[in-house]
Amino acid sequence: MAIGSRLRRAPSIRGRLLVYLLLPLVLLLVASVWADHKTFVTPLYDAFDRALSHTAVAIAAHLERGQDGQLRLEKQEFGPPLHLPGTEPPPPPDDVFGDHDKPPEHFVARNGPAVWRRLFPGARDSFLYRISLPDGRTVVGDEGLPIAQDNSAIDFSFGDATYKQQALRIASYRTQVDGQPVIVTVGETVNRRTHAVRRLDTIIGLSDGIQLLLVLGLCLFGITVALRPINRLRERITHRQPQSLQPLPLEPVPSEVRPLVQSLNTLLVTVRDAAQAQQHFLTNAAHQLRTPLTGLKAQLEVLASETNDEAQQERIARLHGSVDRLAHTANQLLALARAEPSAHSPGDFTDVQLEALIGTVADAMLDRAIAREIDLGAECAPAHVRGVHWLLHELLINLVDNAIRHTPEGGRITLRCGLHGGAAYLEVEDSGPGIPPAERERVRERFYSTTGGGGQSSGLGLAIVEEIARGHHARFQILDALEGTGARMQVTFPPKAAQE
Amino acid sequence: MRILLVEDDPLVSDAIVRGLATAGYVVDAVTDAESVQSRLDTTHYDLAIVDLGLPGEDGFTLVRRLRRDGSSLPLLIVTARDGLDDRVNALDLGADDYLVKPFALPELAARCRALIRRATAATANEMVVGRLRIDLAGRRAIDDGGRVLELTRREWSILECLAHHSGRVVSKERLIQAIVSWDEEISGNAIEVHVSRLRAKLGEAATVRGIRGLGYRLDDV
Repeated sequence: MAIGSRLRRAPSIRGRLLVYLLLPLVLLLVASVWADHKTFVTPLYDAFDRALSHTAVAIAAHLERGQDGQLRLEKQEFGPPLHLPGTEPPPPPDDVFGDHDKPPEHFVARNGPAVWRRLFPGARDSFLYRISLPDGRTVVGDEGLPIAQDNSAIDFSFGDATYKQQALRIASYRTQVDGQPVIVTVGETVNRRTHAVRRLDTIIGLSDGIQLLLVLGLCLFGITVALRPINRLRERITHRQPQSLQPLPLEPVPSEVRPLVQSLNTLLVTVRDAAQAQQHFLTNAAHQLRTPLTGLKAQLEVLASETNDEAQQERIARLHGSVDRLAHTANQLLALARAEPSAHSPGDFTDVQLEALIGTVADAMLDRAIAREIDLGAECAPAHVRGVHWLLHELLINLVDNAIRHTPEGGRITLRCGLHGGAAYLEVEDSGPGIPPAERERVRERFYSTTGGGGQSSGLGLAIVEEIARGHHARFQILDALEGTGARMQVTFPPKAAQE
Repeated sequence: MRILLVEDDPLVSDAIVRGLATAGYVVDAVTDAESVQSRLDTTHYDLAIVDLGLPGEDGFTLVRRLRRDGSSLPLLIVTARDGLDDRVNALDLGADDYLVKPFALPELAARCRALIRRATAATANEMVVGRLRIDLAGRRAIDDGGRVLELTRREWSILECLAHHSGRVVSKERLIQAIVSWDEEISGNAIEVHVSRLRAKLGEAATVRGIRGLGYRLDDV
């Protein structure tokens, strides 16, 4: 479980690359939108301010000092308080001068609600004006309109203000009318500039966003292409024979992955060397064990044939029995060692015909069966498996050997092979006493010895069968005989499809 | 019958020489592959028993060299190795049979007998199985009393096929192939009938053993 969850959380290179690219890219997008915004806002506002200042200049141009010495607006050519039907009412609508059909000919000082005007019909922004004297007295226009701070260097000054719940941009023009210093202040709602800025922001945001998506797509494509050699390497590894110890080719591997493959190859070579050393050891051990045993056994046989003394004959027979048991154990130990997966290579796996295998093994075991008057026979249907021929041979030899040991004289042993629902099986049934279900697991253990078997068993036979079956991903089961009391040892191989 | 034994272990060598002597063979033993050629040049042998794990030149090399030089001497390999690779290798190189140590002397003697029988069958057109003499050229079988067995064509073919593989199980399919020409068809039951008649005619001279589900085996006794 722990391994599983750790595997699930394992970071993928592709994921990491994407995260490390995505975060900076998004930050970059925000920064660039902000920078673009800053770049265009200043000139845009300047342009709007200049237009606003022109309005102030235009109003100033119409100022004159009357005969009474009072300043007054001569004529009204600008900014009628228009409210055309179908157009958006200028904000706030309550304050709009209502009688738009008959605009007043002159602006006069008045104290009342603010008069919002428009420069032309349909204009988005409304404006207010105020003409005041330097001492703050209002001559004409909206008294409450704030005046932009004087900055003395130039005639125009600008500022932002909130007036009557409206955000206003204010331009104040300091000039003189007939020698009288006046301040013409124009306040304009900021709808157009806000709208223009918002539009530009949207366009920039969109175009930058599309760029980001394109870059991201290219990155994804690039990552996929860049990771392709790693995927190919992975496929090469997964398509190898599971026990293959051949080093991986370094040729098409990118330089970043090369050290990884190299260390993997070092490991493979180490394992292969170890396997070869083990093979070598087993070959030597087999030779060193079997040769003296052969000599001992053959000498005893010769001795037995040359002796007439019955007491000596009996002693020789007992010795011979011990030597046989020793030889058997040595053989079993060697077989067990050679059955280990590390002791053979994937090249040893071939197509093995089970019928032919049964024929060979029965042929080899027939004399022993006949000596005990056991009816050794076979019931075969065509079946073949992928396996190591001599290991399967060893497996079947051990099953039959075990059966002969546990079958009484005159008994019956049947070797079977065939297919069970697509899965090949190999089976040996005897007419012995059988194995109680409680003991069926323990008899597969190494050096487990049953009460039967005449003391000849090394206790390794079924352990060898178990080991070889496992090496072939086959299942070794001990079952009841189909008829009688005996045991039925069955090895079921994985279905053909699963072996590919 | 004379056998050349190539075996470096003195205990094994001595036992084989003595054991095969009781089975009626004369055995000359050498301890290395290098001295084989001089023996073969001076003496006629019916069989050579070669140990694979020899000092100096090993058994594989010896077998390969003998076969390359055109020798038709029957070769029986004995070895302590039991991997299939070794077995296939030795048989591919031209050895005739293969026995893994430790073996029982009677088994070794039986293998020797079978190999020599096969070689004689090829040269002398005659085989001896048990108390039966099989005249391959004359297509007749003679028991130890000198009586010629009266066999039908099919019974003779079955006996001939079994005799060529005596001591080994011969499948029914193989026997059918041995007795039937292309256009004929024959059932497994028919084989059983022919075999039981043959068995009756052989009497005590040799035994045809039926092996359930596998075939038949011709035994010496």
